[in-house]
Amino acid sequence: MLSSAGGEKNRGFIIGFYRRVGLSGMIAITLGLGFLLVPLLPGEFPVIVAVEILILGLFAMSFNLIYGYMGQVSFGHAAFFGLGAYGTALLFRACQAATGEIGYLDFFLSLSIAIPVSAIGALVVGFFCVRLTGIYFALLTLAFGELLFYVVFSWYGFTGGDDGIQGLLPPPFFRDTVNYYYFTLTVVAIAVVVLWRITRSPFGYSLRMLRENQQRAAFLGINVRLCMLMNFVIAGTFAGVAGALWGPFQRSVSPVLLGWMESGIAVFMTLIGGAGFFAGPLVGSVVYTTLNAYVTRFTIYWPLTIGFIILLLVLFVPGGILSVVDARIAAYRHRRESNANLAALSADGRESAQ
Amino acid sequence: MSRKILEVTGLNKHFGGLHAVNNFDLDLFEGDRSAIIGPNGAGKTTLFNLLTGYHRADSGRIIFGGTDITNRASHQIASAGISRAFQITNIFPKLTVLENVRSAVQAQMGKAFNVFGRADKIGTEETEDILGLSGLAEGSTMVAGELSQGDKKKLELALALAGKPKLLLLDEPTAGMSLEETRETMALVDRLNEEFNLTTLFTEHDMAVVFNHARRVTLLHQGKIIVEGTPEQVRMNETAQRIYLGEHR
Repeated sequence: MLSSAGGEKNRGFIIGFYRRVGLSGMIAITLGLGFLLVPLLPGEFPVIVAVEILILGLFAMSFNLIYGYMGQVSFGHAAFFGLGAYGTALLFRACQAATGEIGYLDFFLSLSIAIPVSAIGALVVGFFCVRLTGIYFALLTLAFGELLFYVVFSWYGFTGGDDGIQGLLPPPFFRDTVNYYYFTLTVVAIAVVVLWRITRSPFGYSLRMLRENQQRAAFLGINVRLCMLMNFVIAGTFAGVAGALWGPFQRSVSPVLLGWMESGIAVFMTLIGGAGFFAGPLVGSVVYTTLNAYVTRFTIYWPLTIGFIILLLVLFVPGGILSVVDARIAAYRHRRESNANLAALSADGRESAQ
Repeated sequence: MSRKILEVTGLNKHFGGLHAVNNFDLDLFEGDRSAIIGPNGAGKTTLFNLLTGYHRADSGRIIFGGTDITNRASHQIASAGISRAFQITNIFPKLTVLENVRSAVQAQMGKAFNVFGRADKIGTEETEDILGLSGLAEGSTMVAGELSQGDKKKLELALALAGKPKLLLLDEPTAGMSLEETRETMALVDRLNEEFNLTTLFTEHDMAVVFNHARRVTLLHQGKIIVEGTPEQVRMNETAQRIYLGEHR
């Protein structure tokens, strides 16, 4: 009896907690705990994959501020991921050239420079893009993304052109994959918490209003373009933070980081996980990156594989993986509640009979 | 004598060859409750669009509360205190009723750009008030797109009320409503007008609503003012009877 009461209480606690943090909160917490344990897996490979999951997950989550929350599609979001990566790499290399090997302070400074670089980039690009919506917005972001890609690709003297920038060896502590992994986990966790706050803020709801009905939002006093621009800058900055972490981990950056294929990765991840959920892109990153890492061991036809997966997804689960989980939980709760109602009803019946 | 809140002089708007609003003048005083009537295509909605900055006026001036707001952006006019409810419901369908109203309240509080505050902690009292006033307190966790047509209209009005406007424009507030809902809605409009001295300007096709609730009526036809006065004066006007009221006795 006692243990069953305890079990009931526990379940009550879990349900109460779930109601408080929602599906995305539960997923984020579960994933967070899971990520802590990744280094216990045998070999270095899972840790390497996990770093990529985190970085690309943050990148995709920043994309979803524009797509899922504001309701516009950007096909040029990687431009800011790449700007962040290049900002970090360029300062990194300058510090290396000055001192031979990069120190810890210079390392953190190099990472931080990604924030203003990507923010300014997003401000300039966004200034033009927010004048349009829908397909025109998407095409303009694509155009700017490709423009920046070609600038980086061709400017040998400054960016190294299509060779990229190599030899980004971080300070000794961060050379160890596991240490770098925990560092990435910390940065991404902080970024995710900040993103979470933003989506729950009045500004976050302003974005939803723009998504649902721009015209009405304007009639309610929201400066639509300024709101879109601010979000574009915020999203670009978070993409830049993700990009900053990329270079020192891979020891190099290359122009493809700014290209439309990289932008496509954010779109894929978001569609896989579910754009309607805060944690959707992160779940998408887990699936996409893991598949990418392990499938490419067996076959060189990765684009074919992911293309097939996306096809199945769009046809059968257009809301992404989390929409299925969400629907299952809703159905479960509905069943429980109607059972509870039945129980209450029969209790009422007994009372009135007495 | 109450203060003049809105002064429109010589307002014109063309769409190609169509003179949609022709030399329109209107004065509204604080606490007024006026109606604009006229056949379809008379220019009523265009006039509202001009007043709220959705269309640019070709000429003329709109003075609101002493400031010239002619051709300002919609969001600036909204922040100045002119709020509008639409003929076709214009809500945020995937947000809940509560989120709809709360977001509107926050926008009018100037919090639309607040990034680090918590949306569920800001403007909650005012949100509750408006939900209560508009009869939406129950079921406020429902997703707005799933409401009945009548409740959507109520939400439409609730959004317009968010943030305490100084002037409320209602574009056919009771279109598509049952008699019961029409009565409730207009009772709310009257109450807002009488208790909170909210200046109201509405368009309406239901003449019973117009003559029972408006204190002044303007009849518009092909963009032009035909007659302006008390409901009685407009009702007695021969031109008015010929071009519009004849079909709406």
